[in-house]
Amino acid sequence: MLPPPRHTEIRAPPDGDAAIRATDSDAALARLSAVQKQYLADPFIRHFVPRAHLQPPRPPLINVGTYVRAEGIDKLVDQWLSLAEQEGTDCQIVSLGAGSDTRFWRISSGPRKASLKAYVELDFPEVTMKKAMAIRKSKDLSAVLGSPDEVRLASGGMALHAPTYHLIPADLRKPPSEIFPPLAGLLSPSHPTLLLFECVLVYMSSAASAAVIQWFVDYFSTPSSSDGGCGVLGGIVYEMFGLEDSFGRVMKANLQARNVSLPGAEPYQTAQSLPSRFLQHGFTMSNALTLRDIRRAYVDPAEQERISHLEMLDEIEELELVLAHYAITWGVKLPRESAALQAKWADWGLRPVRTT
Amino acid sequence: MPSDLDRQIEQLHRCEPISEEDVKKLCIKAREILIEEANVQTVDAPVTICGDIHGQFWDMVELFKVGGFCPETNYLFMGDFVDRGFYSVETFLLLLALKVRYPERITLIRGNHESRQITQVYGFYDECQRKYGSSNVWRWCCEVFDYLALGAIVDGRVFCVHGGLSPNLQGIDQIRAIDRKQEVPHDGPMCDLLWSDPDEISGWGLSPRGAGFLFGADITRRFAHDNAIDLIARAHQLAMEGYKLMFERTIVTVWSAPNYCYRCGNVASILELDENLAQDYKVFAHAPSDVRSIPAKRPPADYFL
Repeated sequence: MLPPPRHTEIRAPPDGDAAIRATDSDAALARLSAVQKQYLADPFIRHFVPRAHLQPPRPPLINVGTYVRAEGIDKLVDQWLSLAEQEGTDCQIVSLGAGSDTRFWRISSGPRKASLKAYVELDFPEVTMKKAMAIRKSKDLSAVLGSPDEVRLASGGMALHAPTYHLIPADLRKPPSEIFPPLAGLLSPSHPTLLLFECVLVYMSSAASAAVIQWFVDYFSTPSSSDGGCGVLGGIVYEMFGLEDSFGRVMKANLQARNVSLPGAEPYQTAQSLPSRFLQHGFTMSNALTLRDIRRAYVDPAEQERISHLEMLDEIEELELVLAHYAITWGVKLPRESAALQAKWADWGLRPVRTT
Repeated sequence: MPSDLDRQIEQLHRCEPISEEDVKKLCIKAREILIEEANVQTVDAPVTICGDIHGQFWDMVELFKVGGFCPETNYLFMGDFVDRGFYSVETFLLLLALKVRYPERITLIRGNHESRQITQVYGFYDECQRKYGSSNVWRWCCEVFDYLALGAIVDGRVFCVHGGLSPNLQGIDQIRAIDRKQEVPHDGPMCDLLWSDPDEISGWGLSPRGAGFLFGADITRRFAHDNAIDLIARAHQLAMEGYKLMFERTIVTVWSAPNYCYRCGNVASILELDENLAQDYKVFAHAPSDVRSIPAKRPPADYFL
């Protein structure tokens, strides 16, 4: 018997997309490595990495950088949840390009669990399908979502909905009017809402990134019909920048060899330029810090001491060179009638623990 | 032996590893030579001083194009031959074969990566396992590491060391008293020589590397004055421009691994000292990518993605 005809009409996705999706596995492996080497505590990440116990550790430089990144973003998110508590309300988090992120599970099994009204994750369908399967397969992950009859798969296994948690497939490069309507039923425009972009906008054009952020700005500026208020909107972007120097040019060439290009880094050549990411959308305030700055002055000395003993890190110059090309940018947009707010949302941000 | 050795040098110069049996013989012969060397080896100018190589074999070939090959050029390599790059085996064995063949024309001193502990973290151990299927070659090389000199002095005026100074050592004579034939200790004078860094501080400071110390301009000037030297040449720290002079030219960092780790985008340099010890820094870039600077099945470059 002849083999069935090959379905040549089914087009493979362009290589570039597969390469971008692969950056998620890379990030998950880096996090797993930092957990195994005790830089970070995260009981959930191993459920998202196939054969986690067989994965070799990443180099010390990557472990330290993964730690600094996690430490910075964790602090900002925790402060956001605490501000919501002070405001006397619960809040929403939308993670765009969430990949294998475990943040929802970490918050939901921690002390600020009650502050979370909704947690929405969006990513490529291939990624959300894998994640939904990993969630269904793991008792540890499923248990956090709620009772089994409250958790359902949708969109042929590419989406998953639980009382607080929602996983939704979306290609963020498409027009927001096509991809975001499903969010309308899930997000209240009157609640404080934090957008997370961890290594996602850098892979998109600036125009597509701006359209995504502007969609949320518009959504949260429209008083909701039920309670009439507008919510505080916050955003965190973590990614590489300043890629026109010799290090940056090598990075672009090395990643291009893996089919990954970084068009989103183009407008951000200096650390000073980073806050314009949010300020151009009318945000009330925005700040940015490089991972080098955070490692030098924003990590608690006791923690600094602890991680310096985990592995022997032989090259500080190289570490600083790499970390100086990654930054965390955050910004907040207060609603027009902000006088009624209880919490000091405009003070949200990382604080130095020592001077450089 | 010389004809065998010449053949091995040719083979290694093509970046082809030699047989395990040849490595064993080479290491035994190298130890016989190195054991006779002083902790601070005496070197005559003119000499070309090189910093970290870190297994970037094709970039070392570039270095030899810029500086001339051995024995025509008299070389002094200040350690960190192995780890990080893809060709630590070929890099170290070529340098070692040249040492055995032309002992008076090349000096190798020990870097902090010439250590059992560090090579198990940063790649040389794994590379030996991968290329020879056992840890024998790694073990023999580590035994050679234990015999490498800790420093060198050129015409009594230029002190060369991988890392820097130690609060436990005031004079070069005190270095001569160290029993160097051992694994690099976690602290003490021998560790400091291989791990310390100059820094814009006064006096001594704690090193962020977790070993060795930071030392300031005052310490550097006093050491130079007390030991009647003009310059301390050291390696150990990435210098984006290939070299970095500090403290009114009393100390220089020479860095010889261009585009370090195939990621940093830096240039490299070598320091040529002529017969009058005049300094000429020759800067060079990484080997063109059409030579096999990176293996076909290369591991992905490490970034945060």
